[in-house]
Amino acid sequence: MRDDTLFKELEKEIFICAQCNFCRICPVYYEEGWESSSPRGRIYLLKGILKREIKFEEIEGIVQDFFKCTTCGICEVVCQTSIPLIEIWEKAREVFVKRKGPLKAHERIRNSALKNGNPYGEELNKRDEWFKQLSENFEIKKAELVYFAGCTASYRMNEIAKSVVSILNKAGVDFSYAGRDEYCCGSPFLRTGQRDLAIEFFKKNYREWRKRGVKKILTSCSGCFRTIKKDYPVIAKELGYAWNFEVIHVSQLLLELINEKKLKVRKKKLKATYHDPCHLGRHMGIYEEPRRVLELSGIELIEMEDNKERSLCCGAGGGVKSQFKDLAMKIGKKRVAQAENIGVKMIISSCPFCKLHLKQASEGKLEVIDLVELIDKFS
Amino acid sequence: MTSIPNSIHPVQLYLYSHDITSPPFPIKLFISKPKAVYQPRNENEILEILNYARDNRLNVIPRGAGTSGYGGVLPYSPYNSIIIDFFRMKEFEIDEKQKILIAEPGVVWWDVERELNKVGLSLRVYPTSAPASTIAGWISAGGYGVGSLRYGGIAENVERLRIADFSGVRETEDIHLFSGLHGTTGIITKAWIKLKEYEEYNAVAFHVSIDEAVKLVENWKNYIYSAFFLSSEYITAKNQVFRDDVQYEVPEKDTLVIVGMENGKQLLNLSNLKIGNPQLGEHLWDLRFYSMRVKRLGPTLIISEVILPYNSIPEYVKKMKKMGAMIEIWFNKNNVTSLSFFLADERKVGYTLAWRKSIKAMKLAYSLGGKAYSTGLYLAHHSPKVIEEYYELLNYKKKIDPLNLLNYGKVFPKGRLPTLMKIAELIS
Repeated sequence: MRDDTLFKELEKEIFICAQCNFCRICPVYYEEGWESSSPRGRIYLLKGILKREIKFEEIEGIVQDFFKCTTCGICEVVCQTSIPLIEIWEKAREVFVKRKGPLKAHERIRNSALKNGNPYGEELNKRDEWFKQLSENFEIKKAELVYFAGCTASYRMNEIAKSVVSILNKAGVDFSYAGRDEYCCGSPFLRTGQRDLAIEFFKKNYREWRKRGVKKILTSCSGCFRTIKKDYPVIAKELGYAWNFEVIHVSQLLLELINEKKLKVRKKKLKATYHDPCHLGRHMGIYEEPRRVLELSGIELIEMEDNKERSLCCGAGGGVKSQFKDLAMKIGKKRVAQAENIGVKMIISSCPFCKLHLKQASEGKLEVIDLVELIDKFS
Repeated sequence: MTSIPNSIHPVQLYLYSHDITSPPFPIKLFISKPKAVYQPRNENEILEILNYARDNRLNVIPRGAGTSGYGGVLPYSPYNSIIIDFFRMKEFEIDEKQKILIAEPGVVWWDVERELNKVGLSLRVYPTSAPASTIAGWISAGGYGVGSLRYGGIAENVERLRIADFSGVRETEDIHLFSGLHGTTGIITKAWIKLKEYEEYNAVAFHVSIDEAVKLVENWKNYIYSAFFLSSEYITAKNQVFRDDVQYEVPEKDTLVIVGMENGKQLLNLSNLKIGNPQLGEHLWDLRFYSMRVKRLGPTLIISEVILPYNSIPEYVKKMKKMGAMIEIWFNKNNVTSLSFFLADERKVGYTLAWRKSIKAMKLAYSLGGKAYSTGLYLAHHSPKVIEEYYELLNYKKKIDPLNLLNYGKVFPKGRLPTLMKIAELIS
């Protein structure tokens, strides 16, 4: 059975945990306060299952705490024994889903995605509406670079996707866009233990990229970036597919274009802070590129108390926003408060999902904007 | 009681039935699950829990972060117990003028340090578990930590305590009635901790033998803030498990790290006495909280923690090295804390026997004039040897807790476990 194999794979790491509780800085544990919602407690739960001191039947009523983790990864940063915790959370969730089924909201997004290729319940044929709304009529060409807009920018945060296209146009970069043939990258399903569905989306996207002769994939969503750059090669290997795509995040491209003088940015006097998306920062190690872009744009960057590797999660990831709205909002408000404490009026991020959530959490008190939107305005 | 945040879910109770140790099978027989876990939000709720416990004859186990290794927070089987988790009591204030921290029990040491530094203050002492451990947790467990070379143990750095027991709440400056007693004489609801001005430290490493290390620290102890020694075996193990992002591979030699004051320049002058390595010193100082990283090689780590007089350390270290121990020593004002690490695998049949190493290490310490670092549950039978005023404290305990409900079996030995432990010590 795959779940037994999965647990076997994780066994040594689970036993390595020192239970030192350095991971108590987990934003979810900070709000919830119970061992079952702390990284240490989750590991101890898995250890209990492995030692057969806890039976699967007993976890009813507590297993949902395992899904409260936003997979932000700060536990990995502070882990005394360097355990790959994110991998453990995701694999364990997969086992729990197999045994118990997905949580209600996660099942809902699964059903939406099965039907429409996105977790928002929006129609597939409306995925490219933002593209059609662009004032200039871009011709979708066959190009080596494909822009992967992702679900949030396609259906909820159109301005980000539009800004990316505008910047590519200004810099004279040829690109392709899959439109209605673009599917969810699968990130929400990988994070919520529904990997099977992520694999299906991988296949659809992969097929499309191959058909278009794509060599390079550009994302503006940190979740998509993490998934396509880190998870897709693993899935490709499992399926026996060749993987030779270059994957870049828009913050990296912006820096490249500015440095190569393909994109001219008018310097603006502006004071703002930058929120590191977990999937871009801790998961992928990209901290400096967005900051350098802001610096080159003349923006006075003021760091929040928790930043870069120690950045506080926005609270939305890992399926938390869909299943545990109040919890997600509490964490989001805490992050907004960190920005307020340093006296800025603007939070810049580099992920549509972070933007969406922080905007809701700030309740209009602060302007929340994506890096690519800002640079589009200044260029 | 129902309004106090609590849980009786069997899995949640399981998650509150351990500390950092993985005890062997015979000891596990003495560890059960509590009946409930409570998270009081204030002193009144603590009193409410105490009354409930008295009325229902339940043992009360106060729990901080559970980062100790003496079983002090474990439910002792077969006795019924409830756990008080202080997660929701973590308010603190800083009296900048008096240089005093006033903290609730669940405040985490390193959260405090972060805030103190903003106002130019700093903790005088803190445990090496500071990123996670709580104020009341360390006071209750007692002992020494970073800074104890200059400022002594935690008990010497607590000015006052507010204590709840079955008769109510009171404030006291008799710290010895509570520090190191694992909550058996009352529940700490607030603590007044001495602070100091913030100082920038620099750390310098010296590759010296343990004999030389002891001499150097003894000569310099009036000038420095903290000092620790790492055995070559321990450094070798650490080098094997450091993350890829740590570029600095530490030379695999016995190493002493001296931490002093930059502004006084004493350390630089002293360093001239012996060639030191500031870069390595800073690196090891930065990693001072990460002593259990070698657990990656286990996956289980058996730890023996003892207190020794300065003059016994060289012999202790030499003998422990022969036993295959990885050693970390922290120098205190009048003694040292020695941690010996042994790799093991709790999944294997011989794990119970592996614990003999820990017992042997403790016996060796006693033979050299040392003692166990703390008592808790596992070493409660050592209390008369470990705690100076043991019998006075026992009388105090009987007076304030006649039903013996405050963390039953911890520090003051009861039940069958002490007998088992004595037998284990005899045959080790």
